[in-house]
Amino acid sequence: MSRVIALCFLLLAAVIGFLHIDSRPVWAPFAVVPFQADEAVEESTTAKNKSSIKAGISNPQADWLPDTGNPSVHAASLIALNDGAVRAFWFAGSREGAADVSIYSSVFDVKSAIWSAPTVVIDRISAEKGLSRYIAKLGNPVPARLSDGRLQLFFVTVSIGGWAGSSISAITSDDEGLTWSNPQRLISSPLLNLSTLVKSPSVAYTDGLLGLPAYHEWIGRFGEFLRVDAGRVIDKRRMSSGRSAIQPLVFVNDAQDASAYFRQTRSAGSPKQIPVSHTQNAGQTWQQSEDLTISNPNSAVTGLSLKSGARILVLNNIENGRYRLVLLMGEPKVEKWQTVEVLEDDEALPDAQRKEFSYPYLITLDGDDAHLVYTWDRKKIRHRYFSGAWLKQAFSKIQAETQAQTQTQEANASHQEVQ
Amino acid sequence: MNSLMQILALIELSITCAVVCIWTLQKFSTNPLPFIAKVLLVLLIGNLLFWPLGMNLPLVAYVRGVTGDLSIVLTLLLWSSLLPSYKPAPLTFKFAVAIIALCFYPFALGIGMVDPYAWGYGSIVFLATVLFIALVCGLVNWSKGVWIIAIAIIAWAAHWHESANLWDYLLDPFLAIWAICACIGMMYRRKRDKARSGYLFRPG
Repeated sequence: MSRVIALCFLLLAAVIGFLHIDSRPVWAPFAVVPFQADEAVEESTTAKNKSSIKAGISNPQADWLPDTGNPSVHAASLIALNDGAVRAFWFAGSREGAADVSIYSSVFDVKSAIWSAPTVVIDRISAEKGLSRYIAKLGNPVPARLSDGRLQLFFVTVSIGGWAGSSISAITSDDEGLTWSNPQRLISSPLLNLSTLVKSPSVAYTDGLLGLPAYHEWIGRFGEFLRVDAGRVIDKRRMSSGRSAIQPLVFVNDAQDASAYFRQTRSAGSPKQIPVSHTQNAGQTWQQSEDLTISNPNSAVTGLSLKSGARILVLNNIENGRYRLVLLMGEPKVEKWQTVEVLEDDEALPDAQRKEFSYPYLITLDGDDAHLVYTWDRKKIRHRYFSGAWLKQAFSKIQAETQAQTQTQEANASHQEVQ
Repeated sequence: MNSLMQILALIELSITCAVVCIWTLQKFSTNPLPFIAKVLLVLLIGNLLFWPLGMNLPLVAYVRGVTGDLSIVLTLLLWSSLLPSYKPAPLTFKFAVAIIALCFYPFALGIGMVDPYAWGYGSIVFLATVLFIALVCGLVNWSKGVWIIAIAIIAWAAHWHESANLWDYLLDPFLAIWAICACIGMMYRRKRDKARSGYLFRPG
């Protein structure tokens, strides 16, 4: 009799389980609009463009994120606010991974070009209380804009061990980052939820969900694509395998097609280039493909797509060290990248004096311009602004050079044929 | 909703830790504890773990920092060990868990592009397989297994824990280690008993 009751209960569980699966959102296409500019942004950028036209093409501007009084800072990220300002997030403390590390935020007013005083978004103690568990350290804040207009901030927490023991948590804000909700833990790994980290911006789906490029770096070092619904992972797909690629950066090509560029973590003797994966079904399956032939010294890569069709990448294009940081530009169809600007270069200095320029993060406000932040020797966060006019000029130059090269190659080929 | 989930998870883990303490106590005790004593001990230890007692966090939050939320299957197996009518899980179940864990974890942790963990988010085939395993438990007259798996499925559908993945309600590394150790222990005992039975010294 007890067996019959148990089997009846199992039948009930089966019905509930199937109904639960049936209620899950289907896998939607990518939202291909590269940015969402509202009226306020348009107004502010139009004013800015007008002023830049008057003054000619302005050179890239650079400044620093505000000082928190902490000796160690790292992993800055940015998001556009509804009023046209830019909010930055980064972590700072006595040293990376220390218990006193907190996630800070500051707002950049694009009109006055001034950063607000930094505020603490979340520290270890508040993360512990919100997540109801011991937390040893925090890191890697990555903001996202939810479909309902709220801000969401993903960050990693570690309870035991090093960064390889990280898990992702998320907080949301209804007021553009002034106040934040209690954190929620994202569960993405079956082994005590260990070793899932985030570094790169999320991509949006047409159904309002987010696709969050994440990565593991404990037993394996590989990328994973998390489909996130309101702070809960509802699906995930592997972007690479093995121990060679982390910190995926996703470029959406169209509603179904996207490419991911990784930070390589290969063993000595293997090519120090950027690993690449592709999807042709909105992230449901990924295939590893040929490397991008740009040097990568096991350091993070950032990039974005502009309205003009150009793509920009910021990375360390060297095989060892992080002492040079460059801005590359290219077209998605022609997988050819050219250095547009050397942002930092300590090559001339002796090894001991070379600084580290790492963890770049890019956003665009209007689809033409670009705001970049990166870690400057782990002591400061550098912010650079590239105007739309400057980037357009650089892109035209590249296109002209590419055309000239193609014409020369064609001429050479026809000349050889004649001979 | 989130804070309620956190409190319930802490209560659940406090009880589980208390049960583990009692189980350990019994391993070193010659006399079995009466059921009422076990219940009182669970209440006492559970409360000690759950309340912060002047600290920044309750003790169970430190355990949760390391273990996360345990699977429903392990939790219910542990809790049921306190019942007076407790019968150990059949060896076939332990063997099945050990085999599944040994196949599952290497792939889920990054060997190749196939990720069986992703099936747990919403694969009908995976759910049907789990139901089939539960049905087999029922057919071999282990009703407790049917109950436990059914409760795990309902807990997953009801978002009882932070995870939206059915695997996290069915399996965790501690359950896997327990199953693997039980299988190794059983094999060792069989080998030892066989050796003691003297078949090695039978006259030819």
